[in-house]
Formats: sequence, C-alpha cells, structure tokens
Amino acid sequence: MKKLSLILSIMITLLSIILSGCTIGNQQNLEVSKISVAEQFGLAYAPLQVMKELKLLEKNLPGVEVTWKQLGNTAAIREAMVAKEVDIGFMAIPPFLIGWDKGMDWRIFSGLSKSPVGLVVNNPHIKSIKDFTGKDRIAVPQPGSVQHILLSMACEREFGEPERLDNQLITLAHPDGMNALFSKNDITAHFTAPPYLTKELEVEGMHQILSGSEAMGKDFTFIVGVSTSNFHDKNTKAYKAFIKSLNEAMAYMKQNREATQILLSKAYEMSEEEIEKYMTLEGVSYDNSVAGVPEFAEFMKRNGYISKTPQSINEILWEDVNDEK
Amino acid sequence: MMKNKKLFWSFLIILFWQVISMSGTFSSLILPSPYMVIKAFLESIMRGELLNETMYSLIIILEGLFIGTFFAFLLALASIRYKIMEDFVETLIAIAHPLPGIALLPLIILWFGTGRTSVVFVIIHSALWPILLNTTTGFRTIPRIFTDVGHNLGVRGIHLISTIYIPASMPFIISGLRIGWARAWRALISAEMIFGAVGGKGGLGWYIFKQRVFMDTAGMFAALIIIVIIGMLVEDLLFERLEANTIEKWGMTVK
Repeated sequence: MKKLSLILSIMITLLSIILSGCTIGNQQNLEVSKISVAEQFGLAYAPLQVMKELKLLEKNLPGVEVTWKQLGNTAAIREAMVAKEVDIGFMAIPPFLIGWDKGMDWRIFSGLSKSPVGLVVNNPHIKSIKDFTGKDRIAVPQPGSVQHILLSMACEREFGEPERLDNQLITLAHPDGMNALFSKNDITAHFTAPPYLTKELEVEGMHQILSGSEAMGKDFTFIVGVSTSNFHDKNTKAYKAFIKSLNEAMAYMKQNREATQILLSKAYEMSEEEIEKYMTLEGVSYDNSVAGVPEFAEFMKRNGYISKTPQSINEILWEDVNDEK
Repeated sequence: MMKNKKLFWSFLIILFWQVISMSGTFSSLILPSPYMVIKAFLESIMRGELLNETMYSLIIILEGLFIGTFFAFLLALASIRYKIMEDFVETLIAIAHPLPGIALLPLIILWFGTGRTSVVFVIIHSALWPILLNTTTGFRTIPRIFTDVGHNLGVRGIHLISTIYIPASMPFIISGLRIGWARAWRALISAEMIFGAVGGKGGLGWYIFKQRVFMDTAGMFAALIIIVIIGMLVEDLLFERLEANTIEKWGMTVK
C-alpha cells in the first residue's frame, strides 16, 4: 500500500509539472514583439530573403524580435506550428490543407510565389505519363506533397485512376532526386521545382513530360504564407506589420530588379546570372495572390487525402487576402 | 511474476497518459488519447496496411540478422583458429563497431542505391559487430582447462567448437545476439524512415513517416505500439526461452 501511494504521488507531481509547464510556454508566445517565421530552402521563398536583408519587418514594427527558421520539410514546419514554436510558416497548398483537415487552427494570409514545377524523365522513349511501365520509379519529395498531388491529378485525367502510379513513387529530397535521376540507376522520373528543374533540363537526354499547370489545368500559387489563429488574433499588430513588410518586399523586387538580383545572389550564394535566369523564367512570379486552393481541396477530398472541403473560402483564408478566382 | 509486473506498469502508464490527454492541455495532434491510438491501430490492422508493413520489416530484419550472424560466427571461429585472423578481426571491430549504420547511409546510397539491398546492408552492419565482439570475448574467456580436457579426450576441429567452445561461451553469445537484434531493429526503422517506399512497400519506419506527412499522430503511435509488442515478444519468446534451454538448464546462471 505504501508503495502504491508513493507511485501515485510521483505521478501527480509529474502531471502537475507537465501541465504547468505548458501554460508558461503559451504566455511567452503572446508577447507582442516576438515573431517566429519558418520557411524552406529555395528561390520560391525569395521575397522573404528580401524582407530579411532590407530589415522591412524591423522598420514596420520597431523593437520586434524576429526569428527566422529554415526547416527541412513541410511536416517539420507544421509540427513546429502545432507546438507553438512558429507563428508564421510558408508551404505549398496541399500540406496546408492536410493540416487544416486534421484540425490545425490556421489560415492562409498571403500568396508568396508562383513557380513552374515539372516531371523530368531520363528515358527518351517516355513521352507522356502513359508511357511509364511497371518498372519505372518516380521520385517525389514526399507523399502528400504538391508534386505527389499534381501527379495524381494528371493520372486522374489520363487514366481515370489517380492512384495509378502511387506504387511506383519513391521519396527523395530534391537534391537526392536530381542525383538519382542523373545516375539512371534507381529512378526514371523526378517531379521537382527550380533550381533543380532547370538544372535537370540543361543536361542532355533529360526532358520534361508534364508541367504543374498541365496537371492542374490552370496556374496555381506554389507557396503560400500561413498564420496560426493564436498569432492572428492575439498579436494583430505584428500580424499586420508582417503582411505590410511582405508586400513591400514584393514591390521592391518589381521596382529594383538589379538590386534584388545582387541581394539574392548573396543570400543564395549563386551567381547573379543564375538568379536572373531564374527570375525571368516563364511561370515564375512573386505576388500576394492565392490561386488554386478550391481546386486542390476538391481533388484531395474526392480522393480521400482530406476528409472535408471548406464550406466557404473564408474558412481557410484570413480577411483581405488577394483571392485569385 | 515478471509478466504481472510489466502488465501493472503498462496499465499505470496508459492511465497516466489518458489523464493527461483528458486534461485538454495538449491538442490531440500533439498527444492523442489512448482510445484514439487504439482505434487507429485497429483500423490500420483491418486495412491490412500495418500488418503488411510489419511483415515486410520482419522479413528484411531476419534476412539481415541471418547474414550478419553467419559472418560473425565465421569471423569468430577464424579468429580462434588462426592467430593472424585474431589480429585482423580485432582491427576490423575497432574500425567498424563505433560507426553508426545511419552515419554510413549516404555512402551506402552511393554504392547500392536506395533499394532493399541498402537496408539489408545497414542491418548486417548493425548486427555483425556486436555479435562478433561478444562471441570472440566468449571464446577467449573459456577456461584453459575445458579445452585441455577436450584435447585429452581426443575431441578435435569442428567437434571441439560445437561441444566446448559454443556451450562454454553461451552467455556471451546470447547477450551478443540480444544487442545485435536491438541494434538491427533500431537501424532498420531509421533506415526505412529515410529511404521511403519502393513499390508501395517501405516497412514500419516508412509507415511512421507516412503518418507524419499526413499528420496522423494517432497512426504514428499505432506503429510505435507494434514496435514495442515485437520487442517484448522477441525478448520473452525467443531470448528467454533460449536462455532457459541453454545456460539455465546447464546450470551456468546463479538463478
């Protein structure tokens, strides 16, 4: 009996430590002048680099303490936002919808960029996704990624079976996928975005058989900015300052092309020519419009990736979002 | 008695877990309740997915462990037979044993690609060295008088090994197998989480990763339950029986 009461008292102590520890964590996040932002690596996130370098947020919200995190994949950003470590995150639309469907309290506040994405093959005989045999392997960054969803959309259109190629997918991060495509051992095709897409297409023998907008049937926003309700509701000043700074960064990029290229070439450690080539690539644009959410949501619901679609677009967009119909 | 204790503690941990999740401090995305986990577990079993992935992982690990154990014994035997091999094996262990299999992954991908072969290679690497190290230590600590008695009775070659070396170093061999199994199991799950699926099959590690990208936290816990169950079964059914039928039966333990 003594033993049991000892155990119980230990458990109760542990329990109270866990529960009290959490409330302290919450309070810290409510301080007005702290923002934590998570992004991934790549030129699709360029306006954020401009914002960082020009210190636009610091200008619009004096005294702000901003933390920029660069995480390896979307799942990590989502997890950091659930854990309340990150207020604002940037990602593609399908991973956002998966989180929303699972009950995450967050919405899109802005578009960030449009970008070409494409399916590149290393076998000259493959001209369309119809030519894949059961032996061909296709690399995508991960299941549920925008590339995977786009491939399923194309399969639905061609075969009427969205999951047709699912058993031939292999998960590789962009750089690994590119190397595997070049080595021709493991995979036949790689669904990727610039700079990997442009690098792959420059190599002889590689060609693109499907683009993102072909798969979707229209243009869509590649990366969107997402904010937790907690941050939007309780930290309105910082939320507004962030959007203002982001819009200023995009305007700066349009008005000062050369200065932007110099700035980005430093941030990405790439030559100015490479940056220029990418910025002028067809399909690349940086603006705050959000396009493609209803199309993604409807497709993902129809095929069981998510369990519901938003009743109205306002369930997943914050107010004043530039919603491109 | 042991089993009852384990059951008691498991029950207490689950109760504790249920209380925390019911307190509402954490969203179910962070800590789903035991009920949600059991539901996800049963659903995934019904779909056949979890069992398929488990079978896939088990077959791969058996394959890797079998090859790893085979080579470990081969090297251990060679090292007691020939002095020159003994030095060689010692050097090999010194080089390879401290290297985590996962640290070798980038190299292994370069050499064998991202397929099944690479996972098997990681398992062999994880299991081989601890088994080899324990077996050679076991062989080396056999009292001289045992082998001398064997020689006097005219036992030679393979008979000397099967009737004296192996039984006399059984405690070492079993603990080597235990460590080898645990290391291989961990390495397998980690490797599967990194490699991804080929042809829709990727094992338990892949299953966990897939639940992660689709944000199914309860599903991730379901896979962890399977891993725990397998670990307990192997310990109780395999190793404890092996011990009971060998070292305990032969009176090598204090029990």
